[in-house]
Amino acid sequence: MFKSNRSRRLAADILTYVVLCTLAAFCLGPMVWMFLTSLKPEADIVTSQMQYIPTHITFENYVAIWTQSNFPVLITNSLIVTTVTVAICVVTGTLAAYAFSRLVFRGRNNIMLGYLLIRMFPAVMMIIPLYVMMRTVGLVDSRFGLALAYTSFLLPLFVWMLKGFFDAAPKELESAARIDGSTRLGAMVRIVLPLARNGLVASSVFIAIAAWNEFIFALMLTTGQGSRTWPVGLQLMVGEFQLPWGVLAAGGILSILPVMLLFAVVQRAMVQGLTAGAIKG
Amino acid sequence: MRRVSMTSNSRRHPFSSLGEISETRYWVYLLLLPSLLLLFLVVAYPTIYGFVISVREMRLTRPGLNGWVGMKHYISMMSDRVFWISLKNTAIWVAAAVMIEMTLGFIAAVALNRNLPGTRLFGVLILLPYFLPNVVAGHMWALLLDPRLGVINDILVRLGFLSSYKAWFADPNTALAATILVEAWHGFPFFALLFLAGLKGIPEDLYKAAAVDGAGSFTKFKLITVPMLKTVITAAVILRVISLVNSPDLLLVLTGGGPGNSTQVLSLYAFQTAYRDFNFGYAGALSVVMFFILMVFATIYIRLSRITKE
Repeated sequence: MFKSNRSRRLAADILTYVVLCTLAAFCLGPMVWMFLTSLKPEADIVTSQMQYIPTHITFENYVAIWTQSNFPVLITNSLIVTTVTVAICVVTGTLAAYAFSRLVFRGRNNIMLGYLLIRMFPAVMMIIPLYVMMRTVGLVDSRFGLALAYTSFLLPLFVWMLKGFFDAAPKELESAARIDGSTRLGAMVRIVLPLARNGLVASSVFIAIAAWNEFIFALMLTTGQGSRTWPVGLQLMVGEFQLPWGVLAAGGILSILPVMLLFAVVQRAMVQGLTAGAIKG
Repeated sequence: MRRVSMTSNSRRHPFSSLGEISETRYWVYLLLLPSLLLLFLVVAYPTIYGFVISVREMRLTRPGLNGWVGMKHYISMMSDRVFWISLKNTAIWVAAAVMIEMTLGFIAAVALNRNLPGTRLFGVLILLPYFLPNVVAGHMWALLLDPRLGVINDILVRLGFLSSYKAWFADPNTALAATILVEAWHGFPFFALLFLAGLKGIPEDLYKAAAVDGAGSFTKFKLITVPMLKTVITAAVILRVISLVNSPDLLLVLTGGGPGNSTQVLSLYAFQTAYRDFNFGYAGALSVVMFFILMVFATIYIRLSRITKE
């Protein structure tokens, strides 16, 4: 009995590792292939004999995308749009998340539900009126305008995520500070925000990644060099110049590099926040 | 509750007047005002405006055509062949993708939840696709499945499953299935993440008690795991369906709706109507219809999952 239990456990463990390795290969395989492609010279990509391990490793694709296209401009635009989006969300969203988490007021649940329902609005339904509105006020093809458009779906997400982190921060310290004569503002700035610091970083990173990756709003709302972000630029390069595969792969690798970095840094806190926010939702 | 001792001290502080406001009942409104104002500007007003656009003629290429047309767009939608094809494809695309993603996500979550050594690393690796941009994911898979240099074609030919390379995205019979595969790859980590959180929330005692009562693993799964995960499953499915119905990104990158509308979905059709044809009125009407379909789906789905619980 004992022995069969143990061998059954061993079999389950082996099965678990087989499943995990298969899934990891399924997830990573395509990315590894893209990376390998980015290191091959074009002649080795467009070949009748498939090369699984690159025979000539070259960085010419990276040099090409960086020097022979407007990729640096696209990346700069994306950086600016992402930063502005995060700034708007942090400033306005932190206040709202704090209010939802700590204060009791009339209409609280309804407003919170409203923030959640915004997720149901089709992006296309928002894009068309936003485009017409932004054209009227001259914000089409502006990095600030694009960042504003991003807040329409990222701000509610940010508020819900951060509220989860605020909820998790102990209330006792705040009460103690209040008893010691601190104002509500003082308690918020000096006690609650530092306590929820990790959550603030994780939520901001999540918003930043989403803004960095966003494609459909940017495609509609940017028309020229001035504000075009990298996903739109890369997509248009493929369409207009028949971008060689190696160069395209190099561009892809370069543009997901910041995402990987940020993700690696805050992965644990972000996973907590994502799941907490989603489950309560 | 009144502060006495600190008042004189904090007066010199630049935020002291704000600090005092924070003691009044207006504080909460001050906290909420910035985000509410912003969301009114970029969500509420555009939404209302979107409904208005859908009953107007608005073509940016022909500014002369402008004005109230009532239900015209909705009526012409009824006889629009592409609309019906898109509706059908949306249903297939969303249903198939959610089913595959949920299965893969559940398997991944159960495996990760066994907490064997190395699980944390596997967790990170499995989560990665979810954070990959649609544009990169799309082109990456276009390369993998390319009819001339696709590595998947090469592997399938070598293993003997295919006699020659196949143009997956160019064949109307396989295009939709191929895009579903890409979507499943991109989206299943979302389910894995939520299911894992749900599984961790089930108390171990329940399983122990069931084991004492002589329950086998299948009975435990049916009577403990599934009911305990019900809320998570409902939430995850709704969130995923919403984002699948709403986002045309991946299909725009992979096929652009082709070949011959075989991968055309509602969101992509609406986007192209606005972006390519500049027919904002009709695109607006299409997205309003999408919105109502989502509302009806969410309501029915939540009702059903409540009924089965009781």
